[in-house]
Amino acid sequence: MALNRDLRIATGAVVCVDSKLDGPITIGPRTVVHPKACIVAEGGPIVIGESNIFEEQCLIKHNANANTDRPRTLKIGSNNVFEVGCVISAKSVGDNNVFESNCFVGPEIEVGNGCIIGVGISLERPEKLPDNLVITGGNYNRTIAADKPPAQTLQLDFLTKVLPNYHHLRKPKDRPNVL
Amino acid sequence: MSYLVQEDFVRYECTCGSLSPIPKLYFCRHCLKLRCGYCVCHEVDSHYCSNCMEHLPSAEAKMKKNRCVMCFDCPNCFHTLSIRATTRAPEDGSNKGHLKHYYLSCFFCRWTTRDVGIPDQIASSGNWPLKENPHQELLSSFLEHYKVVAMRERSQKDKKPIFPRRGYSTYTEKFGLTNLIARKRAGLPSLPLPGKEVNPASIPPIKPCVATDVIDTLPASYFTDVPDLTKITTIAQRHANPMIQATVASELHPQHRHFFIKRSLRCRSCEHNVSKPEYNPASIKFKIQQAAYYHVPEIRIKTFEPLRAGKPSEIILKVTNPTSHVTSLSFSPKSEVNKGGVSDSVILDSLGAPKKTVEIPRPVVQDEPNTQVELPTEPIVLPARDDAAEYDDSGDTHNFHDDANVVVWRKGNKAAVKFRIVPDRGMKPGDRSIFSFSMEYGYVNTMPTTAEQKSPQRAEMQVNVLIAPGLIVGNLD
Repeated sequence: MALNRDLRIATGAVVCVDSKLDGPITIGPRTVVHPKACIVAEGGPIVIGESNIFEEQCLIKHNANANTDRPRTLKIGSNNVFEVGCVISAKSVGDNNVFESNCFVGPEIEVGNGCIIGVGISLERPEKLPDNLVITGGNYNRTIAADKPPAQTLQLDFLTKVLPNYHHLRKPKDRPNVL
Repeated sequence: MSYLVQEDFVRYECTCGSLSPIPKLYFCRHCLKLRCGYCVCHEVDSHYCSNCMEHLPSAEAKMKKNRCVMCFDCPNCFHTLSIRATTRAPEDGSNKGHLKHYYLSCFFCRWTTRDVGIPDQIASSGNWPLKENPHQELLSSFLEHYKVVAMRERSQKDKKPIFPRRGYSTYTEKFGLTNLIARKRAGLPSLPLPGKEVNPASIPPIKPCVATDVIDTLPASYFTDVPDLTKITTIAQRHANPMIQATVASELHPQHRHFFIKRSLRCRSCEHNVSKPEYNPASIKFKIQQAAYYHVPEIRIKTFEPLRAGKPSEIILKVTNPTSHVTSLSFSPKSEVNKGGVSDSVILDSLGAPKKTVEIPRPVVQDEPNTQVELPTEPIVLPARDDAAEYDDSGDTHNFHDDANVVVWRKGNKAAVKFRIVPDRGMKPGDRSIFSFSMEYGYVNTMPTTAEQKSPQRAEMQVNVLIAPGLIVGNLD
């Protein structure tokens, strides 16, 4: 594992050594990164908020692309869940979103707050997802939920307790912010 | 088992003439005939809810409109709703402790009863509010009216002289069935009791529907406003609840889950079961499952050369013997077994009833063979199935005098047979090539058919097979 000098992990975050973190990444407190999760910050820094869950084989990409209005920093809010095998290269991600297994969110998309991207949904066209949007099913049915999805507090507590028993963790490093 | 869901490359001709892949066929061991879903009797064994696995007798299920009392379907995506609990402080501010509140939520599309303003319940079992059918009154008035009409018609019909039917008299003599029970068995409603004569004057009145020319015009907003697809229901969502047919997503309402059925299949000519599931809905096993897959040699396409119109190409088919007896396969051109209007005699020996005939219509077969096939002349012997043989690395010891040009590979009860096919000259690239042949195979019937013959009976069986390996890729030139 190459030493990633630009990695900042807040205290209280559980980041497994087996995860792949490339480039300048800031991980907020209480965020859980499973082994084999992959976060790649090629096009600029990625700043991840509090209490997010990155499950196995999820891929968060922040690619450099000169001809879009992509912000230099990819900001991921708090309380998001990135389920197994999702591929996210969105422009920005708000709070309380759920990206279910094997969904794909393309680079031209801004994800608001409280959105649920269902299993296997693939979003490629440029758009800004409104808050509490739920996209599910083979026909990509869209509905606006009345409420944001519930926070995964219990799951977070469980993972923070159990993951250190079976995996090596990356040490929290509070380096000065160089962004 | 991916071939179960694959396109139908190899189809067998059922006794009734329809074509199906082998997993969809049954084999009646009493008539020694292939049966498909179209030529068996379907009987409902029990109704059950696939979510909570509760099962009910059909009369009770009918009373509950074939829906489960406990379980609900999501009106948004039609998956089952789950009960979720939240704790909430009492509203009056007293510190009696937190109360548990329950709501229904769909784990697939995240729809909840809170989305449409259904209040949370205090009991987990629900008592969920149900939307009344807005036309309930009208419907029940129709129902009552026609019940009386039907009863009147029936009593008129019964006044006609009835010629005794032979079938009933034998039943009555043999088993002492009374007329009442016989009627019940036949599914007829019981006769009105004397003295309880229906008064024709007392028919409940109904309000007939009136057609109208006046239709309200669509509001202008339909043409001027941009539709918000997230708030409008889909056709499928509307039709899932035909009595309400909500047009906006906020009017969706959960519905009780439909019951599923366990069904048994019965051969139409000998009335033996070909498939009978276990009664317990949680069990996926069968008491009787006479699938053709266990009795008829299976054919799979192994490989074939690119198909060109007018050009011969080789195709290798793998044949498998699923039975525990040696069989011998021979191939001949497709034979016409079932022309239209053939009647099948029904033998009811056990009941002593006369033989009756059943008209079996010949289904329209659209796929006609358009490819010629050269068939092997020598029969191919297939050994019995041996589950242990798969783990046997010592190699096959049996000596078959196979023609190496025909049988290209052999292992256990399987063999790969080479055929030569020539698609017809007129075929264009992209056309589906279809060839057919008749396969004769030896079948050992272990079922004692009569009391005298205890030993297994050998029978020569014959089945027509249609094979569609693929599309024509190009012409000869």
